[in-house]
Amino acid sequence: MLNELVSKINSAVSGANASLLTPEDSKLESSILVDAKKIHAVAEFLKKSKIMNALQAISGVDYVEFIEVVYIFGNFDIANPGQLLLKARITDRVNGNIDTISDLFPAADYQERECFDMLGITFNNHPDHRRILCPDDWEGFPLRKDYVAAKNYNGMEVFPEGKMNMADREFIVRQEMIKKAQEAQSGKVQ
Amino acid sequence: MSYTVPHNSFKKYFYDLFNAVKTTVVGMWITFRYVWGVKSVSIEYPEVREVLPERARMRLFNDAQNCISCTQCAMACPVDCIYISSEKLPEGAEIKKTSNGQSIRLHLTQFTIDTALCCYCGLCTTVCPTECLTHSHDYEFAQYTIDAMKYDYLAPDVKAWRDRIVKA
Amino acid sequence: MMNKWDIPGAPAEKPTHNAITEKLKTDLLTLNMGPQHPATHGVLRVEIKTDSEVVAAAIPHLGYLHRCMEKHCENLDYRGVIPFVDRLDYLASMSMEWTYVAAVEKMLGTEVPRRAELLRILTVELQRIASHLMAFGTYALDLGAFSPFLYAFDEREKILRLFEEISGARLLYNYIWIGGVWNDWTDEQLTRVSEFLDAFEPETDKYHDLVSVNKIFVERTAHVGVLSVEDCFAYGATGPVLRGSGYKWDLRKNMPYSLYSEFDFDVPVGTAEHGELGDCWNRYIVRMLEVKESIKIIRQVLQKLEPGSVMGKVPKIIKLPKGEVYMRQECPRGELGIHLVSEGTDSKEPYRLKVKSPCFTHVSMLPHMAPGQMVADFVASIGSIDIVLGEVDR
Repeated sequence: MLNELVSKINSAVSGANASLLTPEDSKLESSILVDAKKIHAVAEFLKKSKIMNALQAISGVDYVEFIEVVYIFGNFDIANPGQLLLKARITDRVNGNIDTISDLFPAADYQERECFDMLGITFNNHPDHRRILCPDDWEGFPLRKDYVAAKNYNGMEVFPEGKMNMADREFIVRQEMIKKAQEAQSGKVQ
Repeated sequence: MSYTVPHNSFKKYFYDLFNAVKTTVVGMWITFRYVWGVKSVSIEYPEVREVLPERARMRLFNDAQNCISCTQCAMACPVDCIYISSEKLPEGAEIKKTSNGQSIRLHLTQFTIDTALCCYCGLCTTVCPTECLTHSHDYEFAQYTIDAMKYDYLAPDVKAWRDRIVKA
Repeated sequence: MMNKWDIPGAPAEKPTHNAITEKLKTDLLTLNMGPQHPATHGVLRVEIKTDSEVVAAAIPHLGYLHRCMEKHCENLDYRGVIPFVDRLDYLASMSMEWTYVAAVEKMLGTEVPRRAELLRILTVELQRIASHLMAFGTYALDLGAFSPFLYAFDEREKILRLFEEISGARLLYNYIWIGGVWNDWTDEQLTRVSEFLDAFEPETDKYHDLVSVNKIFVERTAHVGVLSVEDCFAYGATGPVLRGSGYKWDLRKNMPYSLYSEFDFDVPVGTAEHGELGDCWNRYIVRMLEVKESIKIIRQVLQKLEPGSVMGKVPKIIKLPKGEVYMRQECPRGELGIHLVSEGTDSKEPYRLKVKSPCFTHVSMLPHMAPGQMVADFVASIGSIDIVLGEVDR
């Protein structure tokens, strides 16, 4: 069924380069990968042709080489219920951007803001493009794999050295010992 | 409860008035019935205490005499609030047995749980091979400082606590 | 002669009507509702622009309860995630757990024993009743009725007591595990469930008499915050919000998961007995009718239960194959989706866990619902979508 949809998307949207991603394990979800530049046209096609009538979520996954934006559509048609994972890949980690689909699906408004907040992808033409869960002056994008929590926030020190008491320090040392023990143990299991 | 609502505005006014009074009186009557006949459900807490179910998950307790320092609880803990350290027994030392027959090959030097961090999920107690780490039924352990929430289960003052919880 | 009327300070000419309105014209007033406001069901801050008593725009500000649980879960093993998933929607933890666990089980290919599946349905439906009772009680409280809240909590307490007996905790259970459930229910406890249902069913009728048909309640909720089915699809609304608009969609019926296809139950939609489809009253009544359907399901579970194991075969250290799943289930507040990505079998932690929360979706509808409402009606609208901020902010 997804194969048909891939050919439909390719014939309807030129340059979409839709391809089917099938996992090795048949229990897992297949998904459709499209060109990031054509995402608006593909979403428009899905909506117009009534293949999918609602956007459920926009999830982003950071695979270090590229960031994948996963659009999760749902078909709430009683006769033909279903869901679709549509993916677009962004390789630019600094200025990564993709077109918004919030004019087609208003649900995308908040989901895209969350995706920007967590993974730092800019959505072009978004009506209200700012952070949603983190404060406006937060630095960095928490769900990226290379995220390091800031030492300072608004002049406040995170984990101040001087205020830490000796008992806590001792506990942290113990904790590192446990981590070493865990690593040794997990090495043994494998 | 469905009525045919009259469309005449004059009739509708009186109908609405009647309906408002009627539904309010019905509601008041239900509340009024609670004055008698319905048993009170609240209890006077410090004097009367509820008996907790057997599986209730309250403050953690470790019976250090049965602990074999396997660190499985520390690994299972999702918030890393269990601190264990142990050292090898000296040569020729007597190897003790736990109550279910496992031999204690390591000397436990620290077993501390930061109760302020604990999320009471119960994952640590399910992996414990000697069932020495259990949830006790103590739920009143407010402290003045956050440091006092760290319970050292090797400290001498644990004995009274142990006598209360471990039923030999 | 000072002026026409001989009054000091009065204008020389009699002002025209237009000039008066021009002078009386005011700017929009910005009003911050929350974050600590009793009618926002948690720490939600809504910035409202009001034109006298009428809301012109509403902008929700989220994130006061943000814990970045998704990042936490990337550093935990698959079992350790369950206590964190509990804390999403803390009023319906069982449903949250089941969705996450079902996602892991789908990737792992675990077979869950039949008794465990039935017990999961039993607990989740009891949880649905408890959650809807809470929604009912707090909604009445928002609109000024205090005693329904107490009656609802009395009944909810009995369910929580049962949950405390089987799992050990009252809210954050960690009861549904990968492969089955933690503890089995004893026959005595199952009998008590049945007794509870028998006593509880007449109570629901009492709630209808007390609140649903009450004239004051109906006036406050009918024709308020109307959402059409098209709005619901556009914003991705699910659960009682979608059904309140009259669209008969329930995942348990339309895309049956687990053993739900074996059960005989109805999907209640808005009745439009008062007000119109998609208004606050219809969203409220859907929840009350769903409670009755849950009772029906639990009765069938109690008949079907047979002795057996409650835990399937699961490896000690769980490692999932490379790939992803998107699992959705019908939770009391709508469809919860878990997008779980695994890196491959050499990692024992999830690579990415995205939670599609129904409440987050429903909060995004507030700016659409608010314009043109009175401030008091806006409170009714927030209450009727029944949000839990633990799930919105994650």
